[in-house]
Amino acid sequence: MKIVSFALNGKKVSCEVQDRELLLHALRERFSIKSVKEGCGIGECGTCTVLIDNEPHYSCLTLASKVDGHDVKTVEYLGDAGLLHPLQKAFIEAGAVQCGYCTPGMLLSAYSLLMKNENPSDSEIREAISGNLCRCTGYIQIVEAIRDAAGLCKCKP
Amino acid sequence: MLPDFASVSPETKADALAYLASLDDVRVIAGGTDLLVNMKRGELCSNVVDIMNIEELRLLSGDGTDIAIGPAITHAAISAAAMLNDLAGSLSAACGWIGSPQIRNMGTIGGNLANASPAADLIPPLLIHDTVLKIESQEGKREERLDDFIVAPYETSLKPHELLTWVCIKGLPGYREGYRRIARRAAWAISRLSVAWAVREDGDRFVDVKLAIGSCTPMPFRPRNVEKFLGGRKKDDHTIGEAAALVVEEIRRITGDRPSFAYKLPVVKGLVQKALRG
Amino acid sequence: MYIGNEMNRIDALDKVLGRPVYAEDLSAKGALFGCIFRSTRPHAFIRRIDTRAAMASPGIVKVLSCHDIPGENLFGIIKKDQPYLAQDRVRCIGEPVLIVLGETEEAARKALQLIEVEYEDAEVVSDPFLSEDSTALIHDKGNLLSRRKVIKGDIEKGFKEADVIVEHTYSTSWLDHAFMETESGVGYPDSKGRIVVISSTQNIHYKQKEISRLLAVPEEKIKVVQATTGGGFGGKLDVTVEGFIALSVHHTRRPVVMRFTREESFLSNTKRHPLYIEYKTGARKDGIITAVKVGITGDTGPFASYGETVCLRAALHATGPYEVPNVHVDSRMFYTNNPVSGAMRGFGIPQLAFAHESQMDEVALMLKMDPFDIRMMNALKKGSLTATSQVLQNSVGIIETLRKVEPYWRKRSKKEDRAGFGLGCMYYGIGNTGVSNPANACLNITGDGKIALHTGACEIGQGSDTTLVQILQETLGLKIEDIVLVRGDTDTSKDAGSSSASRQTYISGGAVFDAALKMRQYLDEKGFYKGRPIREIYASEADKKLLEHNGFFDPPTTPVDPETSKGSPYATYAFATHMTEVEVEPETGCCTVKRVYAAHDVGRAINLKNVRGQIYGGIAMGVGFALMEEFVPGKSESFDNYYMPTSMDMPDVEVFVVEDREPTGPFGAKGVGEPALIPQAASIVNAIKDATGVRPFELPCHIERLKMLLEKAKG
Repeated sequence: MKIVSFALNGKKVSCEVQDRELLLHALRERFSIKSVKEGCGIGECGTCTVLIDNEPHYSCLTLASKVDGHDVKTVEYLGDAGLLHPLQKAFIEAGAVQCGYCTPGMLLSAYSLLMKNENPSDSEIREAISGNLCRCTGYIQIVEAIRDAAGLCKCKP
Repeated sequence: MLPDFASVSPETKADALAYLASLDDVRVIAGGTDLLVNMKRGELCSNVVDIMNIEELRLLSGDGTDIAIGPAITHAAISAAAMLNDLAGSLSAACGWIGSPQIRNMGTIGGNLANASPAADLIPPLLIHDTVLKIESQEGKREERLDDFIVAPYETSLKPHELLTWVCIKGLPGYREGYRRIARRAAWAISRLSVAWAVREDGDRFVDVKLAIGSCTPMPFRPRNVEKFLGGRKKDDHTIGEAAALVVEEIRRITGDRPSFAYKLPVVKGLVQKALRG
Repeated sequence: MYIGNEMNRIDALDKVLGRPVYAEDLSAKGALFGCIFRSTRPHAFIRRIDTRAAMASPGIVKVLSCHDIPGENLFGIIKKDQPYLAQDRVRCIGEPVLIVLGETEEAARKALQLIEVEYEDAEVVSDPFLSEDSTALIHDKGNLLSRRKVIKGDIEKGFKEADVIVEHTYSTSWLDHAFMETESGVGYPDSKGRIVVISSTQNIHYKQKEISRLLAVPEEKIKVVQATTGGGFGGKLDVTVEGFIALSVHHTRRPVVMRFTREESFLSNTKRHPLYIEYKTGARKDGIITAVKVGITGDTGPFASYGETVCLRAALHATGPYEVPNVHVDSRMFYTNNPVSGAMRGFGIPQLAFAHESQMDEVALMLKMDPFDIRMMNALKKGSLTATSQVLQNSVGIIETLRKVEPYWRKRSKKEDRAGFGLGCMYYGIGNTGVSNPANACLNITGDGKIALHTGACEIGQGSDTTLVQILQETLGLKIEDIVLVRGDTDTSKDAGSSSASRQTYISGGAVFDAALKMRQYLDEKGFYKGRPIREIYASEADKKLLEHNGFFDPPTTPVDPETSKGSPYATYAFATHMTEVEVEPETGCCTVKRVYAAHDVGRAINLKNVRGQIYGGIAMGVGFALMEEFVPGKSESFDNYYMPTSMDMPDVEVFVVEDREPTGPFGAKGVGEPALIPQAASIVNAIKDATGVRPFELPCHIERLKMLLEKAKG
């Protein structure tokens, strides 16, 4: 077992994890963050995407011990019902959500992109979400949403 | 779910080497994108040494055309490094294509080398940059050419107590470089075939050409006979056609015939020609 | 006012916040985890099972076998021929044999490794063409699951009238649904002595019935609830985890969680049927199609699942959206020891569209006609007779969809040699085939002055919840705040049928519309539309039963003739035309889909944003079907070796919505879920031919196949 301390959605947290424990399971079981999904478990679908130091990572292939001293963000960081992040708003407006299973990971990849690039081209957007599979939407409305949100938000770390 | 193991995360190279010397049944983990998948699929080990907290393994330094890349540098960081863009464009390109954005943020150059997949994206560009690997253990240091480092598919000369400490490449100023991978989808797929090239030309003549082919033979390789053939030759369709045919011959010589070659050989031919033409 | 607009989905807010509760997110105190021990043999008799080591493994509570099933150990949507747990023999790799119940997932999965089964291998049937005559019987009554014919006119005469005849064979492979959420569910005994199952599903009432047969208890003793469902596409229509969970709860009286890993999902979930299609088309010099003869051979694996449906639907739609006077289709579906194939978006019709659209282009080529003109000339219109001799009376928008893409087709120009353009057309019968397939809906007025909509329709991501609410709003003239949606629970809703066959907007929408009309009349009588608040109406109504209004819709169909398939199997059809631009790199065989123009006659778009979303998603799946997706038994284990399109594989898309209203549909609506996918692969294949001169006859036409075709053409 190991103690890991890290920033989770802006708050300092600390917990004991097993050496072999994956960040995905730590977030779901120890912090009840269920928005992080296990779609394949081998880093081939993107539903478990989280931001570590503001860059997207697959939490299903990240040992929990690795985030000690780092910053971890999940979709809960972006906004809440009262104060949606412009990206979340744009996803709703553009029809970028269908079954919703890929949505949290997709939002985080988009958020990370907009943090680095306030005005991405469509091909930059497509590349930024190319590590997140979606079986429902065909991605078009997701790309539209990210483009729409790009002008509206400052995605600050 | 992973099988049980104990992990340590040293902060210095010396500590890592000490762990590797003292722990039984030990594996090095960097990004984890290959190792953890293998472990989920049944590979076991008792101990894991995580090297991602070791600053000295994440350095990038250049001295003229001699560039040393820390093995724990991620693909994303390599593809963003201006120095590598200038002097090792094929490597930058390969690092921009491997896996997905997430994989590029996690996976490292050292991990790609240590995994030694026949389809590894970074190996063909590293081959044309005459890569030499620096390897350390508590017993001492050694250096090995990349060509010798990979001894079989998924097998390197690295011993369990050894650590890859530097990936040293020769920058190629003045070369036209590139990397092309072919896969079944536009992104996030295993290369079915890859070609890395660095070409120096003088008007209508090839001065120096370096080529490496991945995903065709058990290990990515450089067709050195073809490189030699091209040196100094006139850059025309005839030469290019002949060179491409020689590459195919060389692949056949290494591997014999394989069912996949019905596809791969004509494609290699086409890609080599494209690369040489520019 | 509430329909035809761009209303946001009612579930989108929760979903962007990461709040919805999928089955895997449910945790019950003291829950056991259930894992399935599966067959490693394609066809074998089970001689011995040794579970002693597994039972002795730490944390193992129970191991269940077929002998622990109190009721019937067979399920299936049409033919009940699939055992929950293998009895004496296994008939495919991945077939469930035992359930292992552990205190934790890890304990259960570890115990799986300790189970020993001794098999005696039996003869394996792996080729549907050899299945019929094989002495190895997969079922006692033989290996032919189903044979359906479509006979219209005089086929011989039709070919005699033809000036040209085009004959080719087409084949397709297994595909995985690849919904992002794997099969999962939770079950528990409730305080009323019932068994409750909450799962990721497309049909709660069907699951309730199957569990009741499995456990031999009345349906009232089983409650099925739909958790938020992470995609279905047909793959969550059959019983997946639900039966295992219910059986486990029955035996342990404890909560039980099950969740398939992605590898298990690939191994065990039904696949798209591989079809072999022999297609012969005759046409006159002027382009009129005179005859179509089609032989379809399908492989359903060892169990029926939706094999009969696919066999029939593929046959009925074999001619495509064209009026053909002489038709002969012979469609056969065989049992094999290959993976179980079942329902997947389009029920065999995407495969047939690949064939009939390729044929149209080949006929046009022989006649030196424009592929667009030949389609226009033969397209179904009002008054046309379909292949089953059904007279199309309303909502026949195929020509209009063609017209939408016509300007783009006429002005297409190849900027590069390697570019190509292709057309794909389709029609698709909405709802189940020639059988009653009703939906119920119920409305009631609540004490706090709202209208509650109770529906059993399963929202699987397609947007049915939003659509149904919009239909209700439009009919009653109510704001969203005045409506409560109560859904996905067998306790609170009547059967709405499955979320399949693109039927929920049309059929459940029809039921909601029916109930809403009754409610509107009631509200009108009570003065609501003159300003009396609903709360007051509720309070003043002495007989609370009068506050409830049931809706029902069953599309008017007739059964098809068993010999000729003559009949009106569907009350309405959706139509579509896709035009696709590709670019092929001849050196490598890489085909990039650049742009798609997609025109769909949906009757009426209740929600444009959702309609577009369905079309984009269907196109993505079509790109996968055409170019990369292929489930190879024994090789395709997960997403690392089963590729589906990423954002970078997706073309730009322009959508055109045609609204040729369907009089029996709610506000004229039909359906779009499957139509969105059906013509896409066909249009890609035609574009590849245009770009390269070679025609793929086998899907997927991935880089290797395309390159080999190009090499062969070079000689």
